[in-house]
Amino acid sequence: MFSFFIISLGVFAQEGKIEMADELRSSGKIYVVVAVMTLLFVSFIVYLFTIDKRLKKIEK
Amino acid sequence: MNLITQVRFLLKKEILLEWRSKYAFNGILLYVISTVFVCYLSFKTTPPLVWNALFWIILLFAAINAIAKSFIQESKGRLLYYYQIASPQAIIIAKIIYNILLMILMATIALVFYSIVFQNNVGDVPLYFVAVLLGAISFSTVFTMISAIAAKASNNGTLMAILSFPVIIPLLMLIIKLSKNAMDGLDRSVSLDEIGVLCAINLIVIVISLLLFPYLWRD
Amino acid sequence: MYKNWWKILASILVLYTVIGGLLIQVPELPILHESIRNLYFHVPMWFAMIVVYLVSVIYSIKYLNSGNENHDLIAVESVNTGIVFGFIGLASGMIWANYTWGSPWPNDPKLNSAAISTLMYLAYIVLRSSIEEEQKRAKISAIYNIFAFPAMVVLLFILPRLTDSLHPGNGGNPGFGTYDLDRNMRFVFYPAVLGWILISVWIMTIRYRIRLIENKQNQID
Repeated sequence: MFSFFIISLGVFAQEGKIEMADELRSSGKIYVVVAVMTLLFVSFIVYLFTIDKRLKKIEK
Repeated sequence: MNLITQVRFLLKKEILLEWRSKYAFNGILLYVISTVFVCYLSFKTTPPLVWNALFWIILLFAAINAIAKSFIQESKGRLLYYYQIASPQAIIIAKIIYNILLMILMATIALVFYSIVFQNNVGDVPLYFVAVLLGAISFSTVFTMISAIAAKASNNGTLMAILSFPVIIPLLMLIIKLSKNAMDGLDRSVSLDEIGVLCAINLIVIVISLLLFPYLWRD
Repeated sequence: MYKNWWKILASILVLYTVIGGLLIQVPELPILHESIRNLYFHVPMWFAMIVVYLVSVIYSIKYLNSGNENHDLIAVESVNTGIVFGFIGLASGMIWANYTWGSPWPNDPKLNSAAISTLMYLAYIVLRSSIEEEQKRAKISAIYNIFAFPAMVVLLFILPRLTDSLHPGNGGNPGFGTYDLDRNMRFVFYPAVLGWILISVWIMTIRYRIRLIENKQNQID
């Protein structure tokens, strides 16, 4: 899947008629954004799971 | 008694009661006329778009005031009496029909008075009248059920307004669009969509009222 | 025991769309540019909201038939969750609209409809708080919920189609299927919708279970 990303990224960078955030992608800084958003979402999910678990305990 | 005779009986009773006191009718009539007059004094002349919107806003508030009374006003004794002689379906149908008649009468008078006071040329008068009729019918069907809910809750007018606005706004938007088409004198085939959707919604609302009212009535 | 697999599925789906939504290629369109990626995050909110409201109506109907108090609790908590998703949808839409259509609240039927349907469910909450007696409250609010739902369907699905709209799929614009949603985007968009729907249902069940425990405590006290 990761290689798929890279390939699509390469295709992406070649055609630049309409201005897209190519700079952000070629410099690899986009991964910083991805990392931050992933972290946020993962912590959200983990938080939900812990609430779930605690509820289960109380229900017993 | 079967459903139709029950409905006819209740409807007759309702009209008779109203005829004796004429309270609701006169009150609402005066309300509409004074609101129109206040609007006239503050606006003098209006562009067509405002003319149309203003008319519907006046009618909307008149309808809320008129129909809110339909369940709240009833005394305990009369409710008990209804409970014994008629099925809940008959009661809600009778109320809806009565409110439709009341609103059609009211809206027609309001329209005549409004267009005398405010000069404005409507392109397609029959279609505008159809829009007014449909509007009156939609207001009655929706508000009758809402007023039944509000009456069960806590008998105050604020709740009636809060509950009814979100439900009536989609209908009102359609009606305003339809009547705007009529004002501009557009070809009638353009407005068929709106008329169809309005009729369909009214039908759905009536069917849902019939299904839900028994639950509301039971206690 | 509550089964957990669908919660994990939801997490994986949304996690995939967070990463894929930022990295997978999107069509290059004027005005939208990269902001088309918002589609993966903004639109699923509405899907989630509608599904939770649907759950609420179903449980309202069930309540009227059964008189089971728990059904009423599910209906309320669904509405509560739906309102949260509705507000997130509105807010995210406003940010996006500000940059693509030039103002946070362009006069668009979909926006107005969404705002009004949120009002409708706020009215539902007000109605509930106005009645003291529990069974009466459950019954009357269930009736209002069922009565208001068709109006919401008209608002969100029929009305925007009759008038011009900036959103795709309305006012003669072609829908998502034919317009600008190419194959790559679909691979991310559909999982995003499914994932967020599951998450909204999950949050609803958590709220419902908390409510149950609270009720039990109140009865003991």
